Amino acid sequence: MSNETTPDKNIYDLYKCRILRVYEMTDEDKLFLLRFEDSDIAEEWTFTPGQFVQVSIPGVGEIPISVCSSPMRRGFFELCIKRAGKVTEVIHRMEPGDYMGIRGPYGNGFPMDRFENHDLLLIAAGIGMVPLRSVFLHAMDNRWKFGNITVINSARYGHKLLFRKELEAMRDIAEAENINILQTVTRDPEWPGRTGRAQHHVEDANTDPDDAYVVVCGPPQAYRSVFEKVIEAGYDPRNIYVTLERRMKCGVGKCGHCIAGSSTFLEYICIDGPVFGYYDIISTPNLI
Amino acid sequence: MRYLKLENSRVNDFLEQLSAYGELYAPVQISEEFYDYRRIDDVDDVAFDYTRTVTPAKKYFIPTEQQMFTYDMESSEYEETLDDIRPFVLFGLHACSIVGLRILDGVYLNEYPDKYYGMRRDAGIIVGLSCLPDEYCFCNLRRTDFVDVGFDLFLHELPDGYLIRVGSEKGHKIVDENPGLFVEVTDEDIKHFKQFERKRHELFQYQGSFDNLRYMLELTKDHPLWDEESKKCLGCGNCTMTCPTCRCYDVQDIPDIDGRHGSRIRFWDSCQFRGHGLVAGGHNFRETKKDRFINRYVCKNAYFHPLGTSYCVGCGNCTYFCPADIDFLDNLMKIRGIAEEIYEQ
Repeated sequence: MSNETTPDKNIYDLYKCRILRVYEMTDEDKLFLLRFEDSDIAEEWTFTPGQFVQVSIPGVGEIPISVCSSPMRRGFFELCIKRAGKVTEVIHRMEPGDYMGIRGPYGNGFPMDRFENHDLLLIAAGIGMVPLRSVFLHAMDNRWKFGNITVINSARYGHKLLFRKELEAMRDIAEAENINILQTVTRDPEWPGRTGRAQHHVEDANTDPDDAYVVVCGPPQAYRSVFEKVIEAGYDPRNIYVTLERRMKCGVGKCGHCIAGSSTFLEYICIDGPVFGYYDIISTPNLI
Repeated sequence: MRYLKLENSRVNDFLEQLSAYGELYAPVQISEEFYDYRRIDDVDDVAFDYTRTVTPAKKYFIPTEQQMFTYDMESSEYEETLDDIRPFVLFGLHACSIVGLRILDGVYLNEYPDKYYGMRRDAGIIVGLSCLPDEYCFCNLRRTDFVDVGFDLFLHELPDGYLIRVGSEKGHKIVDENPGLFVEVTDEDIKHFKQFERKRHELFQYQGSFDNLRYMLELTKDHPLWDEESKKCLGCGNCTMTCPTCRCYDVQDIPDIDGRHGSRIRFWDSCQFRGHGLVAGGHNFRETKKDRFINRYVCKNAYFHPLGTSYCVGCGNCTYFCPADIDFLDNLMKIRGIAEEIYEQ
């Protein structure tokens, strides 16, 4: 083992990315459109929905963020970032023309190949819409490869619904393309649309329980009740996927912060996940 | 495998010769009770009869603090910091320490190989040394009491010298370049080697294997032990710092005095610290001391696929260096049911 193991490449090297646009999504979420400065990287770089990047701000730190754009769009990518901590606080003050350091993509991502030729039910709560947007846009960009699609987007209040306007604007094309977009809020008395948690709208999905993959992303405590409703509605537990969040310093299975699970199934969320199947989740304590 | 013998009269010459291959580090006695790895200037300082060191050998491959990059905030540029790593010889590692390094290899040189670690691994020559267990050792239960690979040379104690196993090309080179140091192994030496191994085997407190422990651990989540033992824990992280395979690190950007430049450093972290599982927004995946306490037991007993062993190598350091006298092995034995009667009384 101790002979000639040194790689040339430094896996922690950062690609310099320029912010092209910043969109205010909610009072605490911003969407950043980014481009790689190096044209070779811009040409080559791609990812799978569900993967994440390490975003680095010199002097401040480095954090894991899910990519939320479609991988079909080359040279650019988008990150939706909630202002929640030290690094995101600084990122929220950044403007077009500023730079971020990016490395990745990391993680397993969603098995998009397996999803092909099936219906797709996407269930998001809060910031969970971020990785699911990537799945959704990927499916839109490859519309002919997928069956019916339903997106259930939920938040506490209407103004906190991520990508609300974008999803509303897709209403016409959605109808033409057999896509069902359901947006629901849990605490907003002013909201004119659907109310209640995401899982309560599963019966309105246009997806066939016998032939659909289900992707869930939201706060960990939401998962069990979503699973219950989805399985009750007839969906196959084997076809349910979730994506998880953890503290991460490296993204490459070393720093140990994202280690989760139990002594029989110990996983680095960054490389073994962040996407896990239903049976991994229910047979492993501490994953959610 | 290639075997040779080093006679007692040539041991110091051997150590002198080793230092020709790089800076020599070995365990030395640093106080009445403690030993630690030190740079060796006088080979008489090398301790052959030590049981454990205060810091594990991992520090030579993962420094406690490591500068990874320097940065410039104005240009948003990072420049990689690559230290000038010179060849070094690490003498006197016991079998558990060598397996520990192989576990680190599996992590640091996985599909994303870490350059900082790899450079140090390439520069290091590993010379193993046989040992006898004390009451804290349980490497036999972990099946890490004897190593097949991961060393360049391994010395097994004989009454009048050492039987040497040559474990790598680097090891062959050292042997070939110093033919006068070694003699052929005799039948008598082989007999002594076997006797030593038998004696060593009998000295372990427990016999058997821990392979089924991870399932028992998973099935024993509600044991009163977790509350009682975690209450004793001070959360100091000594157990992880002295562990040969604990490898968690944190990263921080430290600004220079000019406010524009700075360095990104990584340093040893511990899952016993509160911030280890904390994410932005305030959610902590290991909120309580009990969560963090259990996490270490879970992690150490988990299966490490590349080696087919657990992450724990059974060195006993975490118990030996625990200021709260928490006995890792004893707790595992309780979980396994060997010492269950203590709780049933």
